[in-house]
Amino acid sequence: MRKRNRQADAEEAEIDLTPMLDVVFIMLIFFIVVASFLKEAGIEVNRPDSNQNPPETDATSIVVTITGDDQIWMEDRRIDIRAVRANIARLLASDPNQTFTVTTAPGASAGTLLAVGDAAREAGVSQVNWPAERKQ
Amino acid sequence: MSAGGRVSQNGSSESSIDLTPMLDVVFIMLIFFIVTSSFVKEPGVDITKVAAVTTDPCEQGTIIFAIDAAGKIHYDKKEIPLDRAFRLAEAAKKESPRANFVIQADEEAPTSALSELLSAIKPLMDVPLCASTEEAG
Repeated sequence: MRKRNRQADAEEAEIDLTPMLDVVFIMLIFFIVVASFLKEAGIEVNRPDSNQNPPETDATSIVVTITGDDQIWMEDRRIDIRAVRANIARLLASDPNQTFTVTTAPGASAGTLLAVGDAAREAGVSQVNWPAERKQ
Repeated sequence: MSAGGRVSQNGSSESSIDLTPMLDVVFIMLIFFIVTSSFVKEPGVDITKVAAVTTDPCEQGTIIFAIDAAGKIHYDKKEIPLDRAFRLAEAAKKESPRANFVIQADEEAPTSALSELLSAIKPLMDVPLCASTEEAG
């Protein structure tokens, strides 16, 4: 009894930091876990400014059109999704600084759009431009 | 005199390790992680992402909208109409100005819904949109 009292007196001078340390460590671990948790990945799609006229008259531009029923048209030909990359790579080979634009019609699916964007990026275009759809 | 005092002090605190420097380090790490962590509001809807070979990490992509197969917009575990998307995006951007936008679009989602949402939040964007995809292969 007396011994315990003396022990309490001796420890009175310094605060016991252990519970605070526990809390701080738990917070630290929480924040470390949360910080590394958010990893969203995807492909960049640029929306050109609508107020400036799209460079449609620009000859050095690759344009891929997706119709409302998910057909992919390029240079007045209907092409398969697997052929998009090769076609874009061929056009890029003649002029590597061409801009790339994909236009869609209402009704097309996002899967086709992103597949075309992916193929274009794989072929080496720097930016995928996707102007707003025209209302029909 | 002072040397003698120090020696006796050392002798008494020998049994317990001085935790102060460690505490300093731990606190600095804690503050660093609190400051750098950005809380993401999950859209809270299951979507089938498109597989893409050129999938890159979205830099600071922490404002996440989702578009499901029916073309409905989801944000923060709620379905929202298009006209609310701008205000929610504005509020989120104000809360964390360095955050960028991510749209998770379902494979089947109509591009018209994606296009309208992108047009709505376009004025707030300072980098191109990150369209969420799945790493292929």
